[in-house]
Amino acid sequence: MTDSGEPPALFFTSSDDEDAAMVIDSDNLKAECSKAAQDEQKRLFLPAESDDDEDIPMIPQKRGSSPDIYHENLDMEAVDIQRASSVSASSMSERISISSDSEEEAVSRSFKKRQTVPSAKKRRLSPSLALLSPSDNTQFPVYVGEFLVPNAWSSIAGSGYVKINDVVKIERDVDYSRPSEATTKGKKKVDDKNKSNGGKKQVSLTSMLKAQPTRAPKKKTTDTIVRLVTSRGIEFGRLPQEVAWWTSKLLDLGVVELRGKMTDCPSKLTIGTNLIVSVDVYLLRTAFVPVNVTVSDDRPRTMFEEGLETDEEKSLRERKSAILRLFEVIGIRPQAGVTVDWEKSEREHQEDASQRTHISHKPTKHVEVVGDGEEIEVEDGKDLSKSDLDIIYKRAQYHDKDMDEMEPAKSFTLTLRGYQKQALFWMDSLESGRIDAREANTIHPLWSEYVFPAKPDAGFIDLTEDDKLFYLNPYSGEMSLKFPRSKRNCKGGILADVGMGKTIMISALIQSKLGSDEPIDQGLSFKQRQLKLNNAFRPAKNRKTQTSSPPSATLIVAPTSLIDQWAEEIERSSEPGTVKIVVWHGQNRDDLDFLLEEDEDDEKGHAKLIRIIVTSYGTLASEHAKAEKSRSAVFDVEWLRVVLDEAHSCKSRTSKTAKAVYALRARRRWAVTGTPIVNKLEDLYSLLKFLDFKPWSEFSFFNSFITLPFLARDPKGIEVVQVILESILLRREKNMLDSDGKRIVELPPKEITIENLEFTSMERKIYDSIYDSAKKNFDQLRAKGLLGKKYTHILAMLMRLRRAVLHPNLVFTNTDERALSSTGDGVVDVNEMIKKFAEDEGQSNVFAKAVLADLDDQAEGASECPICLDVMETPTIVPECLHRCCKDCITAYIATCEMKGEETKCPTCSRGPIRHSDLVEVIRPPPNSQNSQPDLILRRNDFTLSTKLSALIHDLQRIRSSNPAFHAVVFSQFTSFLDLIEIALEREKFDHYRYDGTLDLKRRQGVITAFKQISKRPKILCISLKAGGVGLNLTTANHVFMMDCWWNSATENQAIDRVHRLGQDKTVYVKHYVIRNTIEERILLVQKRKTALVKEAFRGAGKAKEDPDSIENLKIMFGEN
Amino acid sequence: MPLCSYEQRIIKETERLVADPAPGITASPHDDNLRYFDVTIQGPEGSPFQNGVFRLELFLPEEYPMAPPKVRFLTKIYHPNIDKLGRICLDILKDKWSPALQIRTVLLSVQALLSAPNPDDPLATDVAKHYKENELDAQRVSREWTEKYASG
Repeated sequence: MTDSGEPPALFFTSSDDEDAAMVIDSDNLKAECSKAAQDEQKRLFLPAESDDDEDIPMIPQKRGSSPDIYHENLDMEAVDIQRASSVSASSMSERISISSDSEEEAVSRSFKKRQTVPSAKKRRLSPSLALLSPSDNTQFPVYVGEFLVPNAWSSIAGSGYVKINDVVKIERDVDYSRPSEATTKGKKKVDDKNKSNGGKKQVSLTSMLKAQPTRAPKKKTTDTIVRLVTSRGIEFGRLPQEVAWWTSKLLDLGVVELRGKMTDCPSKLTIGTNLIVSVDVYLLRTAFVPVNVTVSDDRPRTMFEEGLETDEEKSLRERKSAILRLFEVIGIRPQAGVTVDWEKSEREHQEDASQRTHISHKPTKHVEVVGDGEEIEVEDGKDLSKSDLDIIYKRAQYHDKDMDEMEPAKSFTLTLRGYQKQALFWMDSLESGRIDAREANTIHPLWSEYVFPAKPDAGFIDLTEDDKLFYLNPYSGEMSLKFPRSKRNCKGGILADVGMGKTIMISALIQSKLGSDEPIDQGLSFKQRQLKLNNAFRPAKNRKTQTSSPPSATLIVAPTSLIDQWAEEIERSSEPGTVKIVVWHGQNRDDLDFLLEEDEDDEKGHAKLIRIIVTSYGTLASEHAKAEKSRSAVFDVEWLRVVLDEAHSCKSRTSKTAKAVYALRARRRWAVTGTPIVNKLEDLYSLLKFLDFKPWSEFSFFNSFITLPFLARDPKGIEVVQVILESILLRREKNMLDSDGKRIVELPPKEITIENLEFTSMERKIYDSIYDSAKKNFDQLRAKGLLGKKYTHILAMLMRLRRAVLHPNLVFTNTDERALSSTGDGVVDVNEMIKKFAEDEGQSNVFAKAVLADLDDQAEGASECPICLDVMETPTIVPECLHRCCKDCITAYIATCEMKGEETKCPTCSRGPIRHSDLVEVIRPPPNSQNSQPDLILRRNDFTLSTKLSALIHDLQRIRSSNPAFHAVVFSQFTSFLDLIEIALEREKFDHYRYDGTLDLKRRQGVITAFKQISKRPKILCISLKAGGVGLNLTTANHVFMMDCWWNSATENQAIDRVHRLGQDKTVYVKHYVIRNTIEERILLVQKRKTALVKEAFRGAGKAKEDPDSIENLKIMFGEN
Repeated sequence: MPLCSYEQRIIKETERLVADPAPGITASPHDDNLRYFDVTIQGPEGSPFQNGVFRLELFLPEEYPMAPPKVRFLTKIYHPNIDKLGRICLDILKDKWSPALQIRTVLLSVQALLSAPNPDDPLATDVAKHYKENELDAQRVSREWTEKYASG
């Protein structure tokens, strides 16, 4: 019965391989099974003998077992080996030599075997055999601890039964006179008893006689009586209920043996007398047998599915609870791996569990130790201040500097640095399935490691002996002696180096590992079947079966802006004629079949070409849409390797891009990204899904073990992520040290300055007025509880505030105002601003009103410029008197006056002096411009440098005076602000370039090329953060200006890394402008929020609506913190 | 500044001067030079220059309208602010110039100057002195000159 239960741990061991094993008919199975078991043994017993048929001598402890029994026994052992093989350090090398596949097959087959073996054989299973411990030197039962029962009670009256310091047995309700009654108990229990108590006569004899358990549904016994029995077999007392509920389970399930010792008792017993018993706990061999192995296909495979708790599940849950309770009572703590908040896990189960008699337990662990032995303080599991991305990546980086290196193929023409060779080695290891690239001593994320404690009265302690370890999966209650290694099923991983030349590393990999040794068919069917499951939307009939040759082409998917860079880099890094790279993008892309077939022809005649197709996410997504209707070659071809560059592009698992990416067929998969986790853990899921990294590629699984715990502030979520990443992620940072203690990349220093600026009084006025109205609006919405509903609206207000910080011009907008303000008319705001100007100057409002009325008519172009007598172009207002001229006219006039040294006055009324910066201009963008552009922008003269612009220009001029040929990069997330920056640069006669999302691929490339060209003059590149924050290589520049704040600093850092990266040979100066007492300071607060994984709180309004975190962020924005 | 835009202004001003001339003032550009105007101003009534028609030349410099037009009396005139070369002492033609002023406003100002001579800010010092010491006699001379030089 217990064989069919499903604890979570099962999902790790039962990959699809298991399914494959299932179809093997039972005859073969038998043979294979024993073979597998033997293989196991050979690996585990050194020296390995080449004795295939006669294994018995290899098991020294085995006594007189017949070959007949042996089969049976082997199965058992195979299981044990899998689960409970040696764990000492000396056996590490043996473990590593076991390929995970064969291991799993062996296990699953042997599990299967166990069920198919006729029960008749089982009966002959000698209990003594179960004591054999062929794979390690652990002697069962093994001591794990003791506890005191202060309130056991006697069940008989009289004296002479027991005295202090007597050894007593602690047993479950077994009637020795009628052994057959035991048949009502589960087979497990019986078997366990056989094995566990093998050393104890009274049980082993009876259990040998017991009938085999039936397959009929188990009749649940509810009694939990645990008896105290004297050494002569006389029951004299019982354990109290609060101890008995779990000890009874453990005894029934063969997990433990309990050996009692009377600590205190009266010499004469009466019924109910209080007895104090100290109990030594010994784990039995059977405790380490996998508790369940069967996965029937007609049942849901995950315990997270809805549904009633089956008997098996209930039994498992009880077993788990009992084990956890035991460990708590004896005070044994894991020294590595996960810890579980017992109370919480109990609570969770309480919800679905049908019944529960447990007493709630204390929460545990305030210090925990992660796999590498470093201790991390956890305060009640609530405060996640430690859990930022650095910590997440920390473990993955732990062993990196000691990793081996690998030389690239000859066709690779560039010289790799040491760490790049390490990356190559690592990538090859992952592709080839080797696991020791990074010393794979990482514990499985769901398991904890424990040390068998020494028995206090053992007399002497052998200090030379290694600690004996065992492992517990606190989620399933499963125990193991074998190190539960974190496993990978996918070939590939995540290359998350930051600015280390990822492109080059991938290029080296492609050229060095051609995959010609790939098997032709093996693995394909497996993959196909999986695809069918994952991508049911794609009709199977359209899938072309693989041709005779193994897949050899590589597909690189990259953001459009980086396609050419990929092609260039790969060509640059390879010998001519060795690589054929095709950019498959754009309207007139060639037929992919044709491209690949042509290549195959080439191969016959010429030296073998390495075929690489580079495409964009957009192309892939549209091909995917096409494939749903007819077919698309890109999804039909089986690729040797698929590389996703900037793989976070598909971080949203429901996006079209992501779905397209999942649908690709590939033997090896790589996700290349500097930010595998952009801002939430779920970002990682999509990559794991692409990589087919089981079991995390199941969303429910990921959700249950990572997302939900994380949201519940449970550090486990982070830990699991750490372990996952350790096995599939390579992330080196520029400041990491190699094994010699040198930096792996000697990059010049990076100096980041945050310059806090003060608004001018004018800007302050404008900003404050906008802020006040936004705040008022926000408070109203909040009072009405509409924050969630009006989220978009609030976002728009925030956006406006952020623009106001940059430059007032960016907010003087009629349409903008109307769209944003539900209470007032935006025009009025602007007008009031102008009125204020007038009033400040003590001027009558009458004229101002006339002008404002006129302004409203601006759209009709009624006004004439007094200077050119033409219709005003970009009407510009002299704020003191509100007279207007064309911008050009008044500008020219003021310039003339200044040139002549004359006082500047209003041309119309001679009021003065007037200054450039005082002018306010009204701008109407061309009607065909984007929707987002307002109809009318009233803004201060563009010659007015806003505070930030002034600071920028000032800094640029300062740099120019000392270095007349510097290159600088200016980032802003607002293209409208980039416009202003460009105007300012133009004025200051700086050569400037513009890179944003509106440029097509060719023009982007053109801009970058032009910018990179060496010049004697300064060059400034203005980049939209969104379009150019990733991928670009801008090392010719060494000055970076961040004009505004993004919601998370990761994005900002990545932008900076465009400049501070491999190839940079100068100190990089980064300047970040922040205006004091504005929303920018609040954004920095959000950036620093303790979870560090700031949600994209202010994007994707639809999704974020109900998210309390987003609302919280909003409150911060409006000064609630 | 784009020159053409101000040529546009000149054309516009010219059209308006022709279509809607200011009372007592004519201005017509030379065919071969649109910046060169032949101007006549009638002497304001009640002034010593009444009934006279004064010819002036007006030239719009390259910088116009950022710089004032150059205006000069061609007809001899006895006026404390206009010298014997015809040069005019008028603030808007110098430091008080504004690009918002136009040919029309300049000429109206000149016309007004005829009504209100300002001997305190003289250009023709002898005439100014005359006006200051004996205004009636000076006006008489002005009238004579008007009859003599500006009546046909």
